[in-house]
Formats: sequence, structure tokens, C-alpha cells
Amino acid sequence: MSTKRGHAPSSGFPPPASRLFPCGQTRREFVWEMGAGFVGMALAGLLDGDGFFARQASASTRVAASPLDVKPPHYAGKARACIFLMMNGGPSHVDTFDYKPTLEKYAGQTLPPEKSFTNSGNRKMGFLTPAWRPFRPGGESGLMISDYFPRVREHADKLALIRSCHTDSHAHGSALVAMNTGSTFIGRPSLGSWCVYGLGTPNQSLPGYVTIMDKRGGPISGQPNWSSGFMPASYQGTLFRPVGEPVLDLAGPLDRTAQREQLDLLAQLNQRHLDGRPGGSELAARIQSYELAYRMQSEAPEAVDLTKEDQGTLAMYGVGSEPTDEFGRNCLVARRLVERGVRFVQLYSGGGHLEDTWDAHESVEKNHGRHGAEVDQPIAALLTDLERRGLLDSTLVLWGGEFGRMPFAEGEGAPGRNHNPYGFTMWMAGGGVKGGVSYGETDEFGFAAAVDKVHLHDLHATILALMGMDHEKLTYFHQGREERLTDVFGNVIEKIIA
Amino acid sequence: MRATGRQLRKGWQAIAFVMALAFLGAAGHGDEASPHDASANGLWSTMPVVRPALPSVENAAWCQTPIDHFILAPLEAKSWVPAEPAARDRLIRRATFDLWGLPPSPEDVRRFVADESPDAYERLIDHLLASPHYGERWARHWLDLVRFAETNGYERDALKQGAWRYRDYVIDALNADKPYDRFVIEQLAGDELPDATDETRIATGFLCVGTFDDEPNDKLKYKFEQLDDLIHATSTTFLAVTLKCARCHDHKFDPIPQVDYYAMLNFFVSGKAAEGELLAFADAGSPAEAVQLLQGGDPTRPGETVAPAFLSMASTRRRDVALPTSAGTTGRRLELARWIADAANPLTARVLVNRLWQHHFGEGLSRTPDNFGVMGSEPTHPQLLDWLASALVDGGWRIKPMHKLIMLSSAYQMDSTHAREQQYALVDFANELWWRRNRLRLQAEPLRDAMLATSGQLNPKAGGPSFFPPATRQALEGLSKKSDAWGESPLEEQRRRSIYMMTKRSLLLPLMTTFDFADTTQPCSQRNVSTVAPQALALLNNDFVHRQSEAFAGRVIAEAGAETAAQIERAWWLALARSPSDAEWEAALAHLQKQRDHFASRAAGQGETLGNDDPQRRALASLCHVLLNTNEFIYVD
Repeated sequence: MSTKRGHAPSSGFPPPASRLFPCGQTRREFVWEMGAGFVGMALAGLLDGDGFFARQASASTRVAASPLDVKPPHYAGKARACIFLMMNGGPSHVDTFDYKPTLEKYAGQTLPPEKSFTNSGNRKMGFLTPAWRPFRPGGESGLMISDYFPRVREHADKLALIRSCHTDSHAHGSALVAMNTGSTFIGRPSLGSWCVYGLGTPNQSLPGYVTIMDKRGGPISGQPNWSSGFMPASYQGTLFRPVGEPVLDLAGPLDRTAQREQLDLLAQLNQRHLDGRPGGSELAARIQSYELAYRMQSEAPEAVDLTKEDQGTLAMYGVGSEPTDEFGRNCLVARRLVERGVRFVQLYSGGGHLEDTWDAHESVEKNHGRHGAEVDQPIAALLTDLERRGLLDSTLVLWGGEFGRMPFAEGEGAPGRNHNPYGFTMWMAGGGVKGGVSYGETDEFGFAAAVDKVHLHDLHATILALMGMDHEKLTYFHQGREERLTDVFGNVIEKIIA
Repeated sequence: MRATGRQLRKGWQAIAFVMALAFLGAAGHGDEASPHDASANGLWSTMPVVRPALPSVENAAWCQTPIDHFILAPLEAKSWVPAEPAARDRLIRRATFDLWGLPPSPEDVRRFVADESPDAYERLIDHLLASPHYGERWARHWLDLVRFAETNGYERDALKQGAWRYRDYVIDALNADKPYDRFVIEQLAGDELPDATDETRIATGFLCVGTFDDEPNDKLKYKFEQLDDLIHATSTTFLAVTLKCARCHDHKFDPIPQVDYYAMLNFFVSGKAAEGELLAFADAGSPAEAVQLLQGGDPTRPGETVAPAFLSMASTRRRDVALPTSAGTTGRRLELARWIADAANPLTARVLVNRLWQHHFGEGLSRTPDNFGVMGSEPTHPQLLDWLASALVDGGWRIKPMHKLIMLSSAYQMDSTHAREQQYALVDFANELWWRRNRLRLQAEPLRDAMLATSGQLNPKAGGPSFFPPATRQALEGLSKKSDAWGESPLEEQRRRSIYMMTKRSLLLPLMTTFDFADTTQPCSQRNVSTVAPQALALLNNDFVHRQSEAFAGRVIAEAGAETAAQIERAWWLALARSPSDAEWEAALAHLQKQRDHFASRAAGQGETLGNDDPQRRALASLCHVLLNTNEFIYVD
């Protein structure tokens, strides 16, 4: 893969920090690695006095091994950051990005009986139903996109539609976790965790991996969706809240000077405590979390401070207007975070349950009309904004939900559609992706992926490839096994990579 | 919970097992020669519990209890040695947090360290077990399991009247050392007991505290959702079996035919949560309605009628369910409860002792405490698990003696460090062999309670309706119905232990969730332990923590007087149960001076009025605040 693209294969990808200890290092070196990135300046002053730095002289080369420091990719991927626009609830592909004119022909018929599937939630089943809004060609490529996304359609030439996705669960909870971690079972590291683990993050004052919830609530299954699983918590997603302070308890009654003094004392006390407990990686991680917290207090408010944006930009994202205000803000914050070096940002559209998400059981038109109107303009603005700032080439934008929806109605003549893990569409833009292309197909009903099928693992492998990582080499040793995001699967979709 | 390498291998074994069943044409069930008989399936957790002999060990002197033989033998097989015993100040802190969820007082620590009598530690355990604080801590583990919360969840998230009485029932049962078999029976069928009382009826709150949607989309479907919640809570809590997975088809991995699910459903189908002051479960009458197997789990596709029966894989003998009829109830749940609480049930005692071990040590002997099936992880020390299970049953199902037995072991008393840590961790990073003590981070409740205890603010009032902590504007904004009043309790009430805090499903206190509070929708056998920056922000900035720091400073002044040296000494003892080292003492002194000067200059310049605005007092509060943030405070060795 890398040879094909003319990059020298990487020979020096650093082994995960977890494997460096305790393989021949001193405990102190290990602690140094764990803490260096964050304790940094604070400890420098404190520990100078006790000769710490003199003793560390031989380990100075290890400073770069802090878990969040930037690490070289396997090869020069174009994308340095990823913004995952998570359409929580499962948008209907046949109503949005998977143009199926054949459904007009089959309208009123049932799905042929040989097409077997799990009827998620044992819901009613009706007849095959064409798209609820018309599709039209967009851009020079003429990619067909429906009227639920008229603004995004204007960016058709930037998009790579992947119309043959399929996943492993028909239920939201496990499908969300699968889209985020590759497995339907909770407990594995999420995509953002793998990215930060593999590449580190350039800005140590902001989390490397930020998750922004929809105001209506979190995704079903909650924390496992942004968990670092068996990896250290340093790689876990940090929740940014869309209302109030971006991060809870970001400010307290003490001023910065007084708090810095507290943190210096705290670091000193914690270091002494750690000295008596060799190998206490959890203790070192907690020391580190304080320095991140301290820096977040100044960096996070600045990153989400939209007063720095001009009126034109705010209006473009739909900030200040309904129904685009919330997602518009989040998209704009995502751009600001990526600009500031955050590696992975995930935005949720839809929160809580059912109709407050893209889970259009009751009515596609009502549900997708509502949620489409919330996100279409902000997403289009994000693509415009990234492009005009020269960030699009280095930022992979990923759009999609945990699954798609059935081509038939949920009940006779009913306007809703049930879950469909067998075939759905995701799209990518920027970050070294070809624009104006469509990859893969569902069958003539839009029911199941049929041509060039793309499983979750293939999608994940492709995302990692675009970020410069070989999904087969990005491993984390855990309980006797080299774990991968893609388990033992995954094929990179070379055809959509520019 | 996590898919470990071992579990992945187990996965292949499971697939091979299922394929073997299919090959043998053994997919059917229900007949006399059912392959799902325990004897045929080979699953470790369904084998009868037999008390094993103690393994022989070389270093018999290390073994203070039979437990130690089982721990030491595998270590000796590798020529490994267990960690040294923990220092006494560490030991009392460990034992007190473990049984009470509170720190020992400085005086308790001094007394224990100075007590050289051979039974000092045993007396400590007896003392801790005799205190009502024991029930307040261990009830929380149980409440996690039974998805306890005091509201329904969903859009309206209405209050469950009297849910707190179930919480108090659990606390009281543990404090009274109610035998576990009786505890099980009361929670499943307290209303059907011949000697039913209000107390036993309250116990059935177990069946009522789950989520409840008062406006379901599809009433028929929701009826089965509710029943599924009861089946899932029951099978997970008492049996660590994923019976839920057999709702639509035969279990993919475990020997559980789909018919078992509907046989179990029979026990609950006639009941519902009763309205009124007592939150209790009751049958609508007798006889019970007939239950049909739902094809594909679909309520619109009923199939064969299924009679009540026990889980076939765990039934050591065929036993028809007798159906006594008594006035107004089917008596079915009592039958189920008696089967679960039967000494011959291979799962019940194993599951409980595994949970006891887990909460004492941080991990269970089986590291999947909610799944004893094929996809779960086999116990690291299967014989020890069985030995403990038989000891529990032989001891009349009493839990307190089990705590004592475990805590008197050398295994429990090991230090959290080991001289050969680097060498051993290479081979056994997860400490599955228990060569040292796991260092444990305080969970959300003990952390909050420890801050209250340290500051001297803890209100020890036990039982009764829950208190409402102050909710931030931000948290309130997340509610779907913002008009829902959040009744903030008087300050006195807000200082009670966390187990008495209102658990509202739509508005969990961020301070608690940040520190990995349990999921309130599903049985939670094991909490996550995350270490993230938002936790640091909470302990640095949260209003509650600042108020405790201020109160802590006030207590230090009250107890140590005005002299700085005495204040530092006292603050260290209150927070960390020891004197500061020389270096720490210097650092603390420097901190007090710097902060005092800083606050004085700020106050002079800007006329700040923050709480107590005496710079000296504020500097002391700052020091106290730092101590509440230390790793030493939040981790237990």
C-alpha cells in the first residue's frame, strides 16, 4: 500500500508505551515517560532541586515517548486530523445518499423472501418505498444526493460516497459501539483512541480526542463509544459540552496563580507517593491528568469562543439561526479544535432516543426533514471553511450513522423505516480522499451491500490509512495478544484514496 | 466485560462447542435426554460445587487461612513469592475503606498501629463489620447490580415512590447479616412468603426499581420488554447467566435453549409493581396466564405453550415446578426463588463469592462477574472459588463470616508493591495470580464520603428518603422537561453519605458520573475505572470540593490550634493518616506562605470577598484542598 503511493515504509514505528515498561527500563524512566508530556514545566522546577534532571540525563531521548506526544506515522498520510460527523440513530441511505430509482419500480411490493434479515425490534413490515425526497445531481461529478442535503450536495465534488457499507448489529447500542470501536461488545478502544495512540497529538494543552454530544443527550451505550478500552485513559475521548462551560468544572474560585501553586505542591506530593510505588502506571496517569486539566482551563474556553469568528463565518454555519445553531456551533468548534491541533473530533447529531435521533421509525420525512435541516448547512459550511483555510487536505471529514434503514416501510403504508445493518452509506471528504466519486453499491432494492462491500473493518482500515497508519501494524499489546482496531480483518478501499 | 485474549480463545472454544452440538444432532431440547442437562454440557459453572482439598504448599507458615493455600500453590509452582504483608497503617486504611467506604480516623490508625496484641486485626474486622457503615458501603455494590435508581427514566422520569425503602432494606439486610438464601428469596418473592411482612414486600422492590416507560410505543411489545428487564436482572444478579440472549433464539454460546427463556418468563408474567406508598411487586391474581414461546422474540408470533421451569443448564436434577395456589398470588416466584437459593444450585453461591472477592480485591476470581457462561472467563483459581462457595453454604449463607475469612487471609493483607514487580508483571501484568495487592481507586461514593469525613462534615444520619444535592444550571439544562423541579435539600442533608443521594435517571450528579458511577439501566457488576482530566477538573474546581476544603481547614484550626506546624501535622493525619515527611513539611510550609501572601495581595488590590477572606485561613484551605487531590488520598494501597 505504502509502496504503491511512493512512500517509504516506516521501519521505526514506536512500540506502544505499555510495552516499553517493564522491558529493561528503570522504573524512573517509565515514570518519566508517563509524566513528561504533562508534568513538563511544573515538574522541571520542582524536581530540579532533588537531582531528578541530573539522573534523567541519560534518558533525555525518551522525552518524546510521552503517550500523547506526536509520533511518526507509518507513511505520510494526508490527513492529520479527522472530524467524524456521527448521525446518531441511523440515517436512511435510500433517502439521502444512495440513489435507488429502482425503488420507484418496486414501490408497493414486498422485499423478495429470499432476502433474509433480522427485523430489529420485531417491528411491522410494509412495502418497498421510494425515497421520500427527490435526488438531484451535484457538482461536476453529478453525484446523486437527495433534497435532505441540498447544501452538502453543492460539495459533491469533494465527496467520496461509500454506498456499500454493512455492519454487525441491528440494535443501536451495539451498532454505535461497533461503528466507534469495531466490535459490538463494549470494552474496546474507539477509533479516536487508536488515532491518538498511533499518532499522538500536536497540542498537549487540549485533549487529542474530543467528543461533542448533541444537547438532547448522549448516544445509547454511552461512554464505551468514546472509551480507550484496554488502552490507558490518556487515549479516551474528552466530552466537550455544547452548553455552558465546554468542559464541566472548567473554572473554580481560585485564580490561575493560586491554582498553579496548588498544582506544583500536588505534583511534588504525588511524585513522592509514586516513588514508593514502583510501576504505578495508574498513579502516573493521574499525575498527568492534572497538567492536562490545568492547561485545558485556558485553552478550552479559547477554542470554543466563537466571538473570535466574524459574522460572515457565523452566518455561514447557521450560528444564531434555528434549527442550525447547535450543530453549526459544534461544526465551527470542530474546525477551531482541528486548527489547534486536536487529532480527532467526533460530533453527534441526534441524542437520547428515537425521534430525537435519526431513528426514523415513525416518519422519514418528519425525522430526516428535522435533522437534515439541523445539519445540512453546518456541514456544508464546515467543508467550505476547511477548504478556504487550506485545512481540507489535511482533515478527513467522515459522515454517517451506526447503520442505515430498510428500503421498505415500517408497517403498511407507514412513513417510517426500520434499522438496516446490511447496507448503508457513509461518505468521506478531504484528508486525501478522491472527490466526486461513488464506491460500492447496494442491491437493486437498496437493501444490502452487493458490489464492493465495505464492512466496518474496511472503513476503519481506510480511515487509518488516510491518517498514515497501516491498520495491520497499528497494534496494542494486551493480555498476550497484539490487538488491532480491525481485529484480523479489514481491507483499505484504495480506490477512493487520491 | 472486556474481550480479553483469553475470552477470544474462549470464543473459538464456544464455536467449536456449538458446532459439536449441531454435529451430534443435539440442537433439540426438552426431552428426557436433553443435551442441556448440566452433566452433558461441561460448562464449569454448572458443575456441582464440591469442596476441594487444600493444595499442599511449601511455605505453610504464610497460610493464615485455607484461602492462602489456593493462592500460594500456583505462585510456588512458578517459584514466585507473594508480596510482603502491608504495613499496619496501610492495612487499617484498606480494611476501613473496604468495609465502610470511609477512611479510618487518625485516632483509629494510631490505636491500631500501636496495638501489638495478636488478635488486633481480627478485632478490627469484627468492629468494622459490626458498624452500620458496613451495610451502607456494601449495599451500594448490590444497588449497582439491581440497576437501582429512584425514578423511571424516559421522558417524564417520574419518582418511584418509596424506592428508598428498598435501598434501606438492602442496607439493613447486610447489617443484620441476613442469610443470602433468604435475601434472594425475599427480593424475588417476599410477597409470596407464608410469613410475608412489609419488610419482605419491600424487598421485592428489586423487581420494581428498573426503568419504566409510562408511554410505550407498542404496549404488547413493551410488556415483553418489561419482562425481559426482570429476567435479565434476575439471571444476571443471582446467576451471572446471559439468559437475555435466548429471547429470540437458542443461546449462541451457552447451553440455554430458547424455551428456557419463556419457561423463566412464566415466573414473572402475572406480576407488576403495585401502586402505593410501598414500592412492591405483586401478582395480579391466580391462576397465572399461559406463556407462549415467541418465535424470533416477536410478540405477534406466539408459538408453543411453555410451562414454568428452571434454567435447564443449572438444574442438577429434574424437578417439576410445583404451583401452590394461595390467595391472590400464583406462588410462582417463590418457587423460582427457592430454586435459586437452593444449596444444590451450582451458580448461586459461586456467583456471590466471586462478587465478594471482586469487591475485596478489585477483580473477581472469574473476571467476568456478570457472565459465568462459555463466553465468560473461567476462574483463575477455580478450586478456591468452589471452596469459598461451599464455605458460604456450609456457614448458613451468612456473608459477614465470609468477609472475615477473606480479610484474615495473607492474600488480602499483601502489600500493593512487590520487589519483583518488573519481573512478574512481564508474565502476569493483570495480576491474575495475586502476587501482590491491587491498588484501588476510590469509587465515586467513597471518594465523596471520604472528603466529607475528612472535613468533619459527614452527617451520619442513616436511612430514610434521599437527599437532593445541588444541581448545576448546566446539568438542569440537559433535562427534557426543564420545569421538573429539583428539590435541593437543606445543607445538613446534603452532607449525608452518597448512598442516600437521590438517583434520578435523567439527572445523575456529574461529580459522581465523572468518577464512573454505575449504569442505572442495566445490572452493573463492575464499574469502569477511568483516569481523565475532567476528574482533575472536578476535584480542582467543583464547588462541593471547595466547600469541603474550607470546612477541612476549619476543622484543622479547631483541632490543632493557631500554630502552623500543628496545623500541617493535623491536616496530614486527617487526610492521609500519617505525619508529613520533612520534605513534605517544608513544601507545605512554603505553600502556606505563598498562598497567604498571594491572597493578601489580591484581597488588598481587588477587595475580593470569597467565603472566609482571611488570607491565612484561605491558605490553609488551599493546602487542605491539595491534600484532598493527592493520589494518596484517592488510591487505597
